[in-house]
Amino acid sequence: MSALLTVENLSIAFGGLQVLQDLGFTVPEGQATALIGPNGAGKTTVFNLVSGVYRPTGGRILLRGQDITALPSRRRIRHGIARSFQNVRLMDHLSVVENLLVGQHATTRGLRDLLVPFRLVPNHRWRREAVDALAEAGLAAHADSAVGALPYGIRKRVDLVRATLAGASLLMLDEPAAGLNPTETNSLRDHLALLRRRGVTLLVVEHDMQFVGEVCEHVVVLDFGQKLAEGTLAQVQRDERVRAAYLGQAA
Amino acid sequence: MIAQQLVNGLMLGAIYVLVAVSFTLSIGILNFLNFSIPGLFMVGGMVTWILIGKGLHWSLAILGAVAAAGLVALAVERLSYRRSQAREPEVPLVSSLGFLVLLENLALVGAGSDQQAFPALVPDFNLRVAGLVVGGAQLVSLAVALVLVVAVSLVLSRTSLGRQVRSIAENRDTAVILGIDVGRLVPAIFLLSAVFTALGGVLFALNYLQVSPFMGEGVGFKGVAAMILGGMGSIWGAVAGGLLIGLTEVMSITFLGADVVNVTVYGLLLAVMVLRPQGLFGRPPAREKL
Amino acid sequence: MTGYQSGLLVILCFNVIAAYAVYLPMAAGQLNLGVAGFMATGAYAAAYLTNEAGWPMGAAIPAGGACAGLLALLVAVPILRTQGIYLALATFALGQVIAAVFLNLDVVGGAAGYTVTAYAGPGAVFAATAAIVAAVLLLSRTRFALYLTAIKSDPVVTDLMGVNVRAVQVGALTLGAVVGGLGGGLYGHHFSFVEAQHFNVALSIFTVLYVLLGGVQTVWGPLVGAAFFTLLPEVLRVGGGWRYVLFALLIIGFMALRPQGLVTAGARWPARLRERWRGRSPRPAGRPAAEARLSTEVSGS
Repeated sequence: MSALLTVENLSIAFGGLQVLQDLGFTVPEGQATALIGPNGAGKTTVFNLVSGVYRPTGGRILLRGQDITALPSRRRIRHGIARSFQNVRLMDHLSVVENLLVGQHATTRGLRDLLVPFRLVPNHRWRREAVDALAEAGLAAHADSAVGALPYGIRKRVDLVRATLAGASLLMLDEPAAGLNPTETNSLRDHLALLRRRGVTLLVVEHDMQFVGEVCEHVVVLDFGQKLAEGTLAQVQRDERVRAAYLGQAA
Repeated sequence: MIAQQLVNGLMLGAIYVLVAVSFTLSIGILNFLNFSIPGLFMVGGMVTWILIGKGLHWSLAILGAVAAAGLVALAVERLSYRRSQAREPEVPLVSSLGFLVLLENLALVGAGSDQQAFPALVPDFNLRVAGLVVGGAQLVSLAVALVLVVAVSLVLSRTSLGRQVRSIAENRDTAVILGIDVGRLVPAIFLLSAVFTALGGVLFALNYLQVSPFMGEGVGFKGVAAMILGGMGSIWGAVAGGLLIGLTEVMSITFLGADVVNVTVYGLLLAVMVLRPQGLFGRPPAREKL
Repeated sequence: MTGYQSGLLVILCFNVIAAYAVYLPMAAGQLNLGVAGFMATGAYAAAYLTNEAGWPMGAAIPAGGACAGLLALLVAVPILRTQGIYLALATFALGQVIAAVFLNLDVVGGAAGYTVTAYAGPGAVFAATAAIVAAVLLLSRTRFALYLTAIKSDPVVTDLMGVNVRAVQVGALTLGAVVGGLGGGLYGHHFSFVEAQHFNVALSIFTVLYVLLGGVQTVWGPLVGAAFFTLLPEVLRVGGGWRYVLFALLIIGFMALRPQGLVTAGARWPARLRERWRGRSPRPAGRPAAEARLSTEVSGS
């Protein structure tokens, strides 16, 4: 199985604080990989580096073997990297469907797409695609709602749907199940299964180990910015150092 | 000749310094571009003139003008700043502009649009040092500006009150959590900024011996320029910016003619903004974290 | 239509055009405090072309708009490195410099002003304004307009969605300048006279004022704001010398009570009406929900 994403010797420091130190792992294509670890281990920082929000102080990020370390953040989504946000980052001035239309941007081309007054066309293809994607996630009823008016669980799912609309091959989800009730979690699981069937590769940060076990076949454990272990969930759960890290935190 | 113009530029700059410090307190601590400041400047000059006209002693007249500016500033705090917290950032700006329009038109209704002659309060003496002539009013301006700026700078850097104010500037929410009484400190900052501005207006009247309802605009906008030039939120930056603008203005009047003043002053500002957006003494803005 | 009415309507037209010049960048959260400078550029360039180069008005005024746009493009790139209030103040400086340069440019009359030989009647002004408003309305139905709002809301996330935030911002500032330049060109040709003193800070700032008064959540806001701003002082004429005092009090009171502007997001009306239909009470407009505001906080590791 080939690696879709590879990070090598990734390091970053903020001020004097070394957040990641020589981190390396791979995300196999077509699989779901979980990035787990105690709070402060550097999981979201990995997302910020892979999506280009931060520049690493050392190391490389490879997508299908191509070095994207220096690629500007906005170019990465067109290379197939999309993400959701731990603190849902929907644009509050826009409705749900408008947020999704922005998420579609990577699939549009050129000035013409930018300047065509498509919202004069009833049920334009772009809007239809956005509403269809919402429907797949069971959220069609909220298409025209103001984002700020929605409950947290719905906002969280909309954030995820927006990330799927770029047609990305790698979808990075930052705690997708956090704050969802059991019904919403079930619906999320179905939605992710649907995305998997379409060949989307997932990289998931998640604290809910049951969810990780059900969704991800590959697990990478981080602690203090370094990789502790890698393998299946069962494998890493047997790892002494992983147990120590989690128990240490619980103590 | 050049040395004399340098002196004149610094004296004019002293007035800009007061206005620039006022703007910088508002922007640096409250993140509020307070466009009522040119109006407060005018209140300083006009109310002093009106009260002297009513027969008050000049010291009481100045006190009255500063008090009037302070009252207006408290109203701006109440109606423009406080009511629009956590909403569109432009709203308080618009509302403070409303205050500028209000103050100018109140003055217009009260005194008409003409320039009014302001009595010469400072005896007309000239200090001659090494061939340079310094007017009495100029000296007073420089001294007042210097004392006020040093005082506010000491208060901000040395006292616990200053520490509280700086913590609001750093992060308002954290300041609230730390138990700092933001609800009382913020009006105090508005008052302080009003005192600076109004005294700037009084000094302007003392130097140029005239006041008018629109006297605040030109000086006020140059005060904004001085603040940006020095670096927003920096007191000593505002001082440097104010003096630099004063010098630039006087020098361009002397060597290039009065018409090009705005080209040089605002051209200088634009050049600094392009080359060094944070101004001469400001810190560069950090990129937001996710 | 009486002369008074048509004169008032012409002023309204110029205010509407200026309002849209400010609105376009403001929709992306960029405050342009120097729109008068772009209007001056358009006015002088167009007047020069009809006066000295013998161009027809129909070509000279658009060329004036293009000049203003070009100028905006030239300065936008370095200026847009700055953000937020810095950007606003840079446009403020720019507006001052432009007006001051024209004041000293003898080839267009300098401080004495510049007489324009060609004349654009009220009809031409109305038609041009209608065309500009129609163009902005069309633009508001595009992805470009959507990205403007997205950038205003969250530039970091908009960038991660692949949108070239900088290019869209430059585009908005430039398009706004073109609109302002067109307005300036029309202004000069209607009043047959251009003077740099007209294009001062007050013009820039008052334009921003009535755009915000109208509200920037929808494309209709600037139109309503400009109308309000033009007509209200006329209504307040009964107040005599006090009318601008009353006007200022209205602005202050209005901003304190309804800071989101006169016109709020129309796009949400259908949804809000539907919610009301279902008997749910909608969230008051312009006030983000508590959890929405938390979303700008820094996340964990």
